Amino acid sequence: MRRIKVILVKEWRESARNKMILFGAIFLPLFMVAAALVMVYQGKGIDVPAAEVALFNTALMYFLILPAIIPLAIAAYSIIGEKEQGSLEPLLATPISDLELFLGKALASVIPSLIITWASFGLFIGVCILLLGGLPPHVLTPPWIAAIFGLTPLLSLFSVGVTMLVSSRASDARAAYQISSFAVIPAIVPLILYTSRKTLVSLWLIGLEAVVLVAAGAIVLYLAIKVFQREQILTRWK
Amino acid sequence: MIEAQKLTRTFGAITAVSDLDLAVEKGEVFGFLGPNGAGKTTTIRMLAALIAPTSGSATVAGFRVGRENRSIRQNVGVLTETPGLYKRLSALDNLLFFARLYGVNSPEKQAERYLRLFELWDRRDQLAGGFSKGMRQKLALARALLHEPQVLFLDEPTAGLDPEAAKVVRDLIETLRTRERTIFLCTHNLDEAERLCDRVALFKTRLVALGRPSELKERMYGRRTVVRLLDPPAGIEEALDLPFIKRIERDDGALVISLTDPERENPILVKRLVELGAKVQSVSELDVRLEEMYLDVMEGDDAAD
Repeated sequence: MRRIKVILVKEWRESARNKMILFGAIFLPLFMVAAALVMVYQGKGIDVPAAEVALFNTALMYFLILPAIIPLAIAAYSIIGEKEQGSLEPLLATPISDLELFLGKALASVIPSLIITWASFGLFIGVCILLLGGLPPHVLTPPWIAAIFGLTPLLSLFSVGVTMLVSSRASDARAAYQISSFAVIPAIVPLILYTSRKTLVSLWLIGLEAVVLVAAGAIVLYLAIKVFQREQILTRWK
Repeated sequence: MIEAQKLTRTFGAITAVSDLDLAVEKGEVFGFLGPNGAGKTTTIRMLAALIAPTSGSATVAGFRVGRENRSIRQNVGVLTETPGLYKRLSALDNLLFFARLYGVNSPEKQAERYLRLFELWDRRDQLAGGFSKGMRQKLALARALLHEPQVLFLDEPTAGLDPEAAKVVRDLIETLRTRERTIFLCTHNLDEAERLCDRVALFKTRLVALGRPSELKERMYGRRTVVRLLDPPAGIEEALDLPFIKRIERDDGALVISLTDPERENPILVKRLVELGAKVQSVSELDVRLEEMYLDVMEGDDAAD
């Protein structure tokens, strides 16, 4: 646990000096909050039920994209940065275990992405109350709360697993970031499909997505842990 | 402190290290010499418990490779071929990170100690990315020493450094040898090896030769005395009929005489030359450079293959 914390602190110190990561961690959430506000503002009191559904589902989607997209940059730079600097071998020469290293790297991406997502959601709620004079309908309902606090950790873990897998084979952080962007798909596809049925997000949908994400996440994390072995890193990573 | 028996590592059909047997004593500076691609880095990686051997066994600092890997990593320091520093972290943060990973008791004090020893204390808050090559290498060496390892693996510590920076690193290694630390030095800088190492191994996938540099040279070339004469008389080589002389060659006008025990035999040789009417200008021992021997041994090994 002590060594995981040491890795976490180091990763965050490095990330704080990386403009690309900082930009993504500050401006992307602000943009998503603004976009979600526009959606709920337009959806408030609209007479067309299908449009209302689409607007509120899209607003929720922005908060599900965040935990999937924020860790991409952190995880990609965390692995590729080590490769570029040649720092993996000295790191692997320490008594840290493969799992501790993996968890340190993974949590360094997951924790900030969740904090930022939840903070963004809090900001969204606050601005809604201030500007709209109260919470719009369909927000802070059980499906929204389940999605924001239940799905986001799963989305973040899935995203980190995919990025670590891709980064183990890539030598360029931007390329790894772009390829790993496919990890956002589980955050948006179910909502788009559900919206096409002209129904607001339900607990059933959130539960189904959670089951799928747990299964997909378990597979991805298993594969990521498998490639995150000292021997593999030193002899097979490019 | 380091023992290997039949240590072997293959990568698919390629054998990187084959049947390596060696023993390195505590406090010894051991040179591991070989060309690029000889398997030196693979050997270090096996001994530092970074990769597993395909077959054979080894113990490092009393721990068995493959069974007590974590203990090995806790007790060895590794300086990799590239410094591998975190460029976005300061020199101090780089050291503190590793000190904490190694579980050093007082990371701040230990980091300060090595930054001062390597004259980097005044630049402790500077990002490592802004350091010169020599400073980076010094910082990497400090990192490898932070946890006071019993065994230090140095992989090409002066590669890519300018002569001044290389001298600084060599001087640092010199200071380390006085501290009872076993140093396993991988290099293809033969002058460096000759200057620093107690013993050297010539290695090319397998062990080609092993011993003290002076022993190896003696074993290969014997000991040779160079005698410079003023106007050497004709037929002097044939006239020199002393029983201990193994061979006489001419090199740039001088006589190069192979002997067994120059300390005892040189006075007799000089006396005989004077008796033969030769005017002796100087007598010295021919010192073969390790580089010359290395090239001869490796060429011989290529021919044998």
